[in-house]
Amino acid sequence: MTSTRTDAGATTVHPRARRARFRLARPSWTWPALAYLSVFFLLPLITNLVRSVSTGEASWSNPFVYYVKLITDRYYLGVLLETLFVSIVTTILCLLVSYPISYFMVRKAGRWNVVIVFFLVAPLLTSIIMRTFGWTVLAARRGLFNTWLMETHLLARPLDALNGPVIVYVALVHVLAPFMILSISAVLQTVDVRLEESARLLGAGRVSTFLRVTLPLSLDGITNGCTLVFVLTNGSFLTMLLLGGGTIKTLALLIYQQFNLTQDIGFAAAMGNILLIMALVCLLLQARLVRRRNVKQ
Amino acid sequence: MSLSVPLRLEGISKRFGHVQALKPLTLDVRGGEMLALLGPSGCGKTTTLRIIAGFETPDEGSVLIGEKDITELPPNKRSLGMVFQNYCLFPHLTVGENVAFGLKMRGIPAADRAKRVRAMLELMRLGNFEERTIHQLSGGQQQRVALARSLVTDPSLLLLDEPLGALDKNLRERMQFELREIQRRLGITSILVTHDQEEALTMSDRVAVMEAGAIIQIGAPTEVYERPHSQFVSEFLGTANIFHAVVLRRVQQDMWAVRLEHGKAEMLIACAANLASGGAVKIAVRPERLKMDAPAGGGMPAMVRDVVFRGSYYAYELSIADQASPIFVYTQARKAIPADGEVTIDWSPESAILLADQAAP
Amino acid sequence: MSNTTQHGRRRIRKARRIDWGGAALLLYVIAFLVFLVMPIIAVVAVSFSSASFIVFPMPGLSLRWYGRIIAYRPFIDSLIVSIEIAVCSATLGAFLGVPAVLWVARSPSRIASVVANLLLAPIAVPAIVLGFALLYLLSDLMLGISFLSLLIAHTVIAIPYVARTTFAVYRAQSPDLEEAAAVLGASRWQTLRHVTVPLIRPGIFAGGLFAVLISLDNLPLSFFFGNSDVNTLPVVMLSYMQNQFDPSIAAISTVQMLIALVTLAVVQALYGVDRLITT
Repeated sequence: MTSTRTDAGATTVHPRARRARFRLARPSWTWPALAYLSVFFLLPLITNLVRSVSTGEASWSNPFVYYVKLITDRYYLGVLLETLFVSIVTTILCLLVSYPISYFMVRKAGRWNVVIVFFLVAPLLTSIIMRTFGWTVLAARRGLFNTWLMETHLLARPLDALNGPVIVYVALVHVLAPFMILSISAVLQTVDVRLEESARLLGAGRVSTFLRVTLPLSLDGITNGCTLVFVLTNGSFLTMLLLGGGTIKTLALLIYQQFNLTQDIGFAAAMGNILLIMALVCLLLQARLVRRRNVKQ
Repeated sequence: MSLSVPLRLEGISKRFGHVQALKPLTLDVRGGEMLALLGPSGCGKTTTLRIIAGFETPDEGSVLIGEKDITELPPNKRSLGMVFQNYCLFPHLTVGENVAFGLKMRGIPAADRAKRVRAMLELMRLGNFEERTIHQLSGGQQQRVALARSLVTDPSLLLLDEPLGALDKNLRERMQFELREIQRRLGITSILVTHDQEEALTMSDRVAVMEAGAIIQIGAPTEVYERPHSQFVSEFLGTANIFHAVVLRRVQQDMWAVRLEHGKAEMLIACAANLASGGAVKIAVRPERLKMDAPAGGGMPAMVRDVVFRGSYYAYELSIADQASPIFVYTQARKAIPADGEVTIDWSPESAILLADQAAP
Repeated sequence: MSNTTQHGRRRIRKARRIDWGGAALLLYVIAFLVFLVMPIIAVVAVSFSSASFIVFPMPGLSLRWYGRIIAYRPFIDSLIVSIEIAVCSATLGAFLGVPAVLWVARSPSRIASVVANLLLAPIAVPAIVLGFALLYLLSDLMLGISFLSLLIAHTVIAIPYVARTTFAVYRAQSPDLEEAAAVLGASRWQTLRHVTVPLIRPGIFAGGLFAVLISLDNLPLSFFFGNSDVNTLPVVMLSYMQNQFDPSIAAISTVQMLIALVTLAVVQALYGVDRLITT
């Protein structure tokens, strides 16, 4: 403890002691949840890990055979890279599509904010199958788009938009953009308007203000949103399954198909672990980036 | 109503990690008394209060209410009343339900509860507020509800943790008097924690000034204000001008002549103790006790540096010879002194406070 | 993105000078909202089609696909199972997660943040990986494919959703309130019952609602636990879609959506959804 005294003013300086709070809950209150998650969350993941290095082709003498296969075999490596590619592209697309919406919601919408939020959240009430099916309806050969475009003579022949990569990306953005929008607007809301106004007063144009003031301050929202969308895309397979027609093959889809077709659980386990590792790396990155900017979640 | 129960803290100490928040502290609070714990943040006053309330356990020592040792009791068994800094009214309950809460927890039947709540609300002049929600209340009304809530259970002790901090100045002054009046009327032993010296001086029977985990002076408000033992106390309880001087000789019984270190002026101080001739002393004088006069008058010469109007008085800032820190003089009326004018400052011997700079027992 | 869809332009008049950038942004937002709603409306429309495949313009209107839902037993059965699983798992998740959150939120220690991360972790794991791993574990535990397994799996996912919102609400509450209750004589349980829970109820509810919605729609997790007796709706719908491609999918989807809308309306009447939307 330090105490300093001067003649000019007798002030003593102490390091602020950490006041122990009177706590309602006891540590034992966490035990049910911890026990449950240990058994039904941690344990399966651990056994999965063990399984991937000890069943089927893998054994104690050659534990990493599946992982090696996944990284070296051209087909599987291709799937891995495609997974990453799809996730990255979807994330970027979502970001580009979403930021203006977030900006509008926070800065311009006013009373209409609630309406927009409703429109964003309402699709979450519908199942993803419904939304994916909806794209099928819209994009099918005799679906809404084709019929209408042909009727207005913009198209001569119907477009086979289904079973192609484009519609998959469209559907992914459709599902995931709301997450990005909500993430960004949550942080954008905390950016004081007066900062932007000061910048304008100091002579910055609208674009310049945006690039130098608004964007950097909302970076945490962007990070959160991108991480969320990336991880969600990684784990999704329904969209690719129903709309892609085989043109987009990601790891999650592969696991789904493997499980249906083969009984090679060791291999499927290994694939799952790779997916898991990708998700964890993402989250670590996010934690690192957000912490560096000193924001408490 | 509530009996006026005395409180005793015996050798209470508390350490948080490396920080000794409270050195072993012993304190006796008389039944029915309002004692203020006054000090800067970090001095240990809040820790003391929380130990009395039961939110912290002391490392050593005991807390006794009346004859009963309550040190090991949890807070909900101590039968205390406490008003928190932000009132802590339950936002999901009405005023009536808030006030009734303590009674409900003790199992008092509904009919009795209603009666007691109504009586207490009347006492607080909140008779019609029973059905209102907390959000409909002003700051002062919330404070009164908090007080009502803490008193309705007939506690043996009332604890107040900076209760008036959130109010504006006028309201605060009014509430100081109201709180004091209610406390006196009920005769309930009370502890007030505050960093505002004015509040402590206005509201309490005794003030305990704390610093660095210990009580350095305790006494009636006037005594602590007029007779501070140390520079810290004198400055914490208001502005004080500090002078260093050397004792010259005894002039009369209880009157000494000293020479100020800066400016070498000879001044008189009243002091009952025996001072050693030639010894160094520290003297504190309140700004309102200093008198300014024309340059030819007796006292020490000084130069006016600045004058500020503070609403109810003028604050003059003066410099003396080569002394670094300025001297402050407060007067009611503005003196006709030109800027950078020269004056003499004098004081009556009784106004000079000799600082012992020792911790109070 | 086509601006020329038929859903009308809402003109929001602003009494200001013409702001072309702002107008463009507004149009974009409207277009985006239309984009969001389009597939859903398309499905609802198709559910009333009289044709047995997807064709536009629709030859006629009919309710036959709604009839088909009732006729095809797995649809209704699995819908009921889905609802049961969703509500039960959310409730169980709340009972497990909320007490843990109460401790974590007020504890500054390192262990607390580890526990917090564990509570939130299940959302971060790709559901298909978790489902796969959990299936094998549960088979080893002799639980295999059953309602109980489904419940266990969905509860794992429900915990983080409930924990997250409860954590946010509880954190925002002043800890002094509990101290005040204690001084007034309330025991731990009394404080919990009369002060803490009433105040964090919106958080628990919001998280629970979210958990219910996620559970209803969860395919990757449920996929592994389905059999002919016990199955959730998304799994049934998927296998139906892969074999027969008729508008009954549209009909059951619409029904599911209506159930969710009605639930939300009820919740709004009781609680107010605006409080639940903001995290």
